[in-house]
Amino acid sequence: MMRYAILLMGAPYSSQAAHSALRFARAVAARGHRLEGVFFYHDGVHNAARLAAPPQDEPHLVDGWAALAADHGVPLQVCIAAALRRGLLDEREAARHGKQGHSVEPPFELTGLGQLVDLGLRCDRLVTFGP
Amino acid sequence: MLLHILNRSPATSEVFRQALAAMGPDDRLLLIEDGVQGAVGALFGRFSGLEGRLYAQEEDLVARGLAPLCAPSVVRVDVEGFVTLTEEAQKTVSWF
Repeated sequence: MMRYAILLMGAPYSSQAAHSALRFARAVAARGHRLEGVFFYHDGVHNAARLAAPPQDEPHLVDGWAALAADHGVPLQVCIAAALRRGLLDEREAARHGKQGHSVEPPFELTGLGQLVDLGLRCDRLVTFGP
Repeated sequence: MLLHILNRSPATSEVFRQALAAMGPDDRLLLIEDGVQGAVGALFGRFSGLEGRLYAQEEDLVARGLAPLCAPSVVRVDVEGFVTLTEEAQKTVSWF
């Protein structure tokens, strides 16, 4: 058993990166490894959009990540600086910025870049999926 | 030994040259996404000299209809094989 982390920098449905990352994440978990976190950075933060409503015959990536978190306890960490400037705010940040509604909800969590550094230090493998 | 992961086709991106330049003599290269085009036809020539160290993601070959055209010396791996490659490598480097 090894400790894995995934860095995802591609937006859903823009490139294949999110599909590849989710497929890899499931395989890592199925293999019995411990997936310590998925870090969403750059355009990858769009994977945390709680209002995403893709056609029903297409893979629902946001739900896919949430299922990964529910099934395997994988933290879904979203870079707060990348998220806020793209309109991805949880309830707390929406209130803080005076915005109506919010676009990020658990199991996704807004967090700092330090968490990515921490994942890189703690984990045996960090695999990056770029756009 | 490092695992290099390339998701760009050599037909549309020059980043494969950086990957090749960065590779050590024992490093491996895994082609994923549009990168699998590098396992087919003339583009395969960009990776000459990597026999036995060149891998391609099977699911991405199939999704593009390229599986029957994949060069025989390319090692085809499914996503479980991808995980195994990351287990065997000290680190991974993604090129995109």
